[in-house]
Amino acid sequence: MYLIVMFMAIGFVPFYAGAQTINLPGKVLDKDGEPVAGATIHVEGQHGGVVTKEDGTFAIKSTLKGTLIVSAVGYVTQRVDITGKTGISITLVRTDKNLDEVVVTAMGIRRAKNTLPYAAQQISGDDANKVRVANIADGLSGKVSGLEIRQNNSLGGSVNVVVRGIKSLGFNNQALFVVDGTPLDNSIMVSGSTTNNGTSNGGLGSTGGYDMGNAASDINPDDILSIDVLKGAAATALYGSRAANGVIMITTKKGRSGTNVTANAGMTLGRIDRSTFVKRQNQYGAGRSDNLATGGFIYKDVTGDGVPDYVVNTNAPRSWGPKFDKSIMVYQWDAFDPLSPTYHKATPWVAPKHGPEYFFKTAITNNESVFLDGANEKGSYKLGFSRINEKGDMPNQNDGRNTINFGSTYKLTDKITVSATANYVQETTVGRNPTGYDGNRSSMPQFREYGQVNVDYKEQEEAYNRAQKNITWNWADPTTTTGLTPFSYNNPWFTANQNFENDSRNRTYGNVSLNYQLLPWLNILGRISLDTYDQAQEERLAVGSIGTPMYSRFNSSFRELNYDLIATMNKDINKDLKFNGLLGVNMRRDAITSVYQSTTGGLIIPKLYAISNSVGAIAAPTETSTPKAVDGYFAGATFTYRDFLSLDGSFRRDRSSTLPVDANAYNYYAISGSWQFYEQLKDNAPWLSSGKLRANYATVGNDAAWGSIQDVYNQPNPFVAGTTSSILFALPTVKNNDALKPERTNSKEIGLEMSFLKSRVGFDATFYHTNTVDQILPIAITTSTGYNSKYVNAGDLQNQGFEVTVYGTPVRTRNFSWEITANWTRNRNKLISLNSGATNLQLATFQASISTNATVGKPYGQIEGQTYTYLKGQKVVNNDGSAYVLSTTTTNVLGNFNPDWIGGVTNNFKFKGFSLSFLVDMRKGGTVWSLDQYYAEQSGILPASTGLNDLGNEKRLPVASGGGIILKGVKADGTTNTTRTAITSGNSLLLPPPDEAYDAGYVKLRELSLGYHIPGSKLGNASRVIKGIDIQLLGRNLWIIHKNLPMADPEDGASAGNNNQGLQFGSYPTIRSLGLNLKMQF
Amino acid sequence: MKKSIFYILLAVLVLGACTKDISSYNDQTKKAAVVPAAPLFTDGTLALTNQLANNGGGNITLHIVDYMAQAIIEDNAQYNFQTSQMPITQWNVLYRDCLNNLKRSDSILSTTIPDATNSAVTITNRRACVDIVAVYAWYILVTSYGNIPYSQALNPDNLFPVYDDQHAIYTDLLKRLDNDLANLSTSGAGFAASEDLWFHGNIANWISFTNSLKMMMGMTLADVDPATAKTVVEAASPNAITSTAQNCIMAYGSQPSNNPMYTNFVVAKRNDYIASMPLMDQLLSNADPRLTSYYGKASASGEYVGAVMGVQTTYSTVSGPSTKDSASNLPYVVLDYSEMEFLRAEAVARGFNVGGTVESHYDEGIRQSIKYWGGADSSVTRYLADPSVAYATAAGTDIQKIALQKWISLYDHPDHEWIDIRRLDWPALPAPVGAISGFPNRLYYPQNEQTVNGANYTAAAAAIGGDVVTTKLFWDIH
Repeated sequence: MYLIVMFMAIGFVPFYAGAQTINLPGKVLDKDGEPVAGATIHVEGQHGGVVTKEDGTFAIKSTLKGTLIVSAVGYVTQRVDITGKTGISITLVRTDKNLDEVVVTAMGIRRAKNTLPYAAQQISGDDANKVRVANIADGLSGKVSGLEIRQNNSLGGSVNVVVRGIKSLGFNNQALFVVDGTPLDNSIMVSGSTTNNGTSNGGLGSTGGYDMGNAASDINPDDILSIDVLKGAAATALYGSRAANGVIMITTKKGRSGTNVTANAGMTLGRIDRSTFVKRQNQYGAGRSDNLATGGFIYKDVTGDGVPDYVVNTNAPRSWGPKFDKSIMVYQWDAFDPLSPTYHKATPWVAPKHGPEYFFKTAITNNESVFLDGANEKGSYKLGFSRINEKGDMPNQNDGRNTINFGSTYKLTDKITVSATANYVQETTVGRNPTGYDGNRSSMPQFREYGQVNVDYKEQEEAYNRAQKNITWNWADPTTTTGLTPFSYNNPWFTANQNFENDSRNRTYGNVSLNYQLLPWLNILGRISLDTYDQAQEERLAVGSIGTPMYSRFNSSFRELNYDLIATMNKDINKDLKFNGLLGVNMRRDAITSVYQSTTGGLIIPKLYAISNSVGAIAAPTETSTPKAVDGYFAGATFTYRDFLSLDGSFRRDRSSTLPVDANAYNYYAISGSWQFYEQLKDNAPWLSSGKLRANYATVGNDAAWGSIQDVYNQPNPFVAGTTSSILFALPTVKNNDALKPERTNSKEIGLEMSFLKSRVGFDATFYHTNTVDQILPIAITTSTGYNSKYVNAGDLQNQGFEVTVYGTPVRTRNFSWEITANWTRNRNKLISLNSGATNLQLATFQASISTNATVGKPYGQIEGQTYTYLKGQKVVNNDGSAYVLSTTTTNVLGNFNPDWIGGVTNNFKFKGFSLSFLVDMRKGGTVWSLDQYYAEQSGILPASTGLNDLGNEKRLPVASGGGIILKGVKADGTTNTTRTAITSGNSLLLPPPDEAYDAGYVKLRELSLGYHIPGSKLGNASRVIKGIDIQLLGRNLWIIHKNLPMADPEDGASAGNNNQGLQFGSYPTIRSLGLNLKMQF
Repeated sequence: MKKSIFYILLAVLVLGACTKDISSYNDQTKKAAVVPAAPLFTDGTLALTNQLANNGGGNITLHIVDYMAQAIIEDNAQYNFQTSQMPITQWNVLYRDCLNNLKRSDSILSTTIPDATNSAVTITNRRACVDIVAVYAWYILVTSYGNIPYSQALNPDNLFPVYDDQHAIYTDLLKRLDNDLANLSTSGAGFAASEDLWFHGNIANWISFTNSLKMMMGMTLADVDPATAKTVVEAASPNAITSTAQNCIMAYGSQPSNNPMYTNFVVAKRNDYIASMPLMDQLLSNADPRLTSYYGKASASGEYVGAVMGVQTTYSTVSGPSTKDSASNLPYVVLDYSEMEFLRAEAVARGFNVGGTVESHYDEGIRQSIKYWGGADSSVTRYLADPSVAYATAAGTDIQKIALQKWISLYDHPDHEWIDIRRLDWPALPAPVGAISGFPNRLYYPQNEQTVNGANYTAAAAAIGGDVVTTKLFWDIH
């Protein structure tokens, strides 16, 4: 309906021609006479304009009177009278780094940064995409203060984007992405089976699933002009509740004058960073050291000659077995593979040539894009096509994404402009990284956690390739034919090639808008934005795999429509006082549905993946439909006094369908002010180039999750015994609450921006403090209430922090420049209170009784578990000295997953056409608890389980032979433990849970790029066609300079979201990538 | 003209945004907000039965009472509850999946207005059935943990329910059973056949079952409160199960309506559940007719071989569960005539007046057990004639004789056996190799309770004598 009205409105607008004009040519230069490219020029009082080309030239339609306004980032804006002129040369003066920058603020309003009363940081699309990232959020890491990016090493996976710390105790703390005014749904997409088993609603837990990425991955990095990060509530209040976690405003490229073609092609190769992958011991092979006679092998006549042979105990996924000795000939897993050349042959008992790292190949990423754009006095357009194809580092992985971007504006009259953007993204993926402790789908558990170090993985690959069968090293029982089935782990190549998932997503987003300059001071914008996608996911476990073979499919569709009507007013009240106002209405309508269905009991025909191929009766599909409506009004006013004092106020009232009808509306307010004190000081402080103080206060609201106010029943599948079918209904495990009220975040912020020495050095610092109160979330409750959790208004979570950006230009000459930018953020959060008497909120529980918690008086994200018991400061060992005595309590604090601080330093060097840039990204502190290490300690695959003891004998020898170790500590009676204990699989828990909590800090050389620019002018005759060529060598994650977590990347996680942070399980190694990129402009 | 269009647009949007009631967007369109009482009762009954039958899954009492050992992952056999998570599973399933649904079922029934199809008597019968299943679930809970949330439980408005005293809960449960018996009436119907998984609506059988449950619960008090035990057992016995027609047996089907043991033994392909040596040796020693029903032969040797508890072995060298015992549709015996006869034997031995002799009930208990597992009458006769079985010649005290044969007969019902072995202290089972604790007399509370209901948890742990598995419950005084 609204759509029709809007289009009718557009259609009815009379179309009339402008006045007589000519094409005025000109050129923009800087003080040194170098051309300024990318400067924008428009005629005062008119919309639309042109941008200078590479050589600084432009041509603008003009009526030969009026004033031209010329602006460029980093230069003072110039006003030039063109009355009577037929050609024009403009010299721009370089300015203080920040002062004349224009930033994009809420609702797409462009404002000069010098009077902005809240923190906002802008980086250019080129800077964010310097090393050609597939997901633009990856490109923000270390470049924006107050922004924490946590990436994982999954193909096409999601990226955690958190602004100024975790504010919500619930699951969504992700910043909102807004692309040219279209809000993009930023939910973390996890696999359908995970979502529908109710195991997760905000990322993946330790039990596994697939990470399908999030919204940021659907934004074309090549299409981005600039990214503005709005950090605080005062900056984002106009967007309402969904922006409570900050907004990443993305402005895409616009058409430039003339006809321009930009083509880009690049290729990147990646290999795993060995320091982030498991390192195994190479001295003792498969088995359990206890309970085995016969040298640690199974004794069985394999060849039928009546003489028993040594057979490797293949079923134990552990490496506590016999020491390698090439003189011992044993029957290993391959001796039971009839197609193997070593079938029924014994092979020497030695460490393998190819460990699990053999599994990883070279990842190859190709990307190509072509952009066509143009503009004239009537309008502009751009049309782009991009293709990115990532071939992952594991077998059978491919992620292909095609993107079409279109944008156009057209001036119907002097006063009316219509514009539209349309983006289509089509992504097809095979073999996303399975996560977690799920050995059916992921091979990381068998590499990192439980394994047999005698296994040669190249031989595993060959065994799979011979017949595409699940020839595993982990036979259940090699001594019987029925035992030749996988016990706990598949052949990794079988897993990758047959138990894979595949999915596709078709997404369309964009908007149509009509802009009407009703009066010289009043502009009205009507806009309809659409974001819609359809997703299909298929998962499978092949016949022959561990677990029940299965096939499932998940189809979901998402649609969000936003209708905006926004009036903006610009009025000079008098010579000194300016007024900018904004008044608007927003209606948001979401429609989200999904269907999930799975086979049961196995697959009848192998390799046939259809629901009908189910062995068991097919269960009813799980359907969801979760529509949502939010209506809001908003208003904002800015008063600016003589360009140095400004006062902002904004108000929004939202009404959300997810709250009880009597309490479904809530308000936001923000008040902010800034004082550019430079104006007062500049005469006395010549070293000062700019200075601004700003402060603001805001309160914003938030609604509830869909369906959290009304109780409904689950309907399990009927129970069928014989001919009787019984209908079942069950209460849900989450208790909803019809008395919820909106949650609120109160936020204050004070900031100081200064630059010195002609802007060679400067900083921008902000201190902020937020309290999120009456948080709506399902809190874990005792199940003796009948429920696992209940929705309540619980808690007050406080964040306060300090964020600072410092920049400097140590060297700047005509040919050479060196610029440094550093970002530093320190956030401290603390749970002030939880309602209803609770003192602890459990966020997630994991294996080994580890949990993550929010405890009153403590920071969010505490990692808790068992710990040692102590006697007079000494660890207590049990009486036979075989293990530490651990606490029975599981609430001991082992750490906290929040970093102490994060930061990044970018260095840019430019020498003539060359540019070199590198980014060092840092994280100090925080804890990660490694399930991988915990299990690996138990399974005997780690080097620490070998070596010599205090007597100089091999630790693994029996105690009677001088082996074993003495656990440091005291016995229950207080005497020092002197009992030597054997280290075997029976008591391999020598390193209990508290020892698996590691410092998650790191220092990484995140990005490196070396580029060479060839301007068109140097290309001779070709310059008629080619305006410029850029060649770039780029590297990403090349070097982890420092970290404390062994054998893994401390940054890696299963997916974005809160409930799996601080834990690692089945972690993937980091990919170091190096690439080459070629960009040509025509 | 232009202006008017904008005014129209403005009006449309503003009016649209003014609609106060957009709550219909939040309506559940895929799930029911109102349901009948019966499917909740069915679901609660199923949850309870599945948990009891989930041997090897969320219920590791089969290791505690030495019915099965483990070949590979020995943790559970060594009393490691951490890896099995049984304390959490049992608590969650019984409170959340069973009792909470039963409570809702009862509350719907309590507001049902009698009509032509559902008479007042029928509604009263149904409420009694719901309560009887609930009492049984509470009985399992209170004998698993000790003090538990009871009077304040199942109320999501009270997030911190106190733990009630176990003896007081027990007394109240017996009272509830008497009340249910008073309410059950064969003059009305119960739930429909498909809704009542245990008795398919047969109220007479519900009456005998309730008496049987009462008798079992009464006997549990025999050591701590012999007088009450005597009164309760004597009152219940005449009306408790007296024939196999009254057995409470739940039928299972094929996946996913299978017996949970099938999932653990067969589907999971664990090759981990193996015969435990004490029971295997016992069965072999007098050629027990139930041997082939309980266990299979070791694939390597073709012999029946038991394993030492807590020690890893190669699966093929020992016996696993029998084909019969690992069938997907293996029925689950909730309570049967055989078990009642053993209780009557014990009652007579303790001097309670329930009629018959110790020997007559002992023999009948054994007979019914063997016959249930498919044994012929001739095998029963031969078995009972074995001097080590025959009541007159078998070794041990009266109680020990009964306890030994009951242990053998409860093979698929380790929960009940776990109560008996704590109560009767017989048979004396060897501790597993590598046991991480003494014999488990209870389950520790779910560790989650420490964080979600901490103060009440701490008080309860102190009240029972420590939240460890070796703490004895109030009725377990020897």
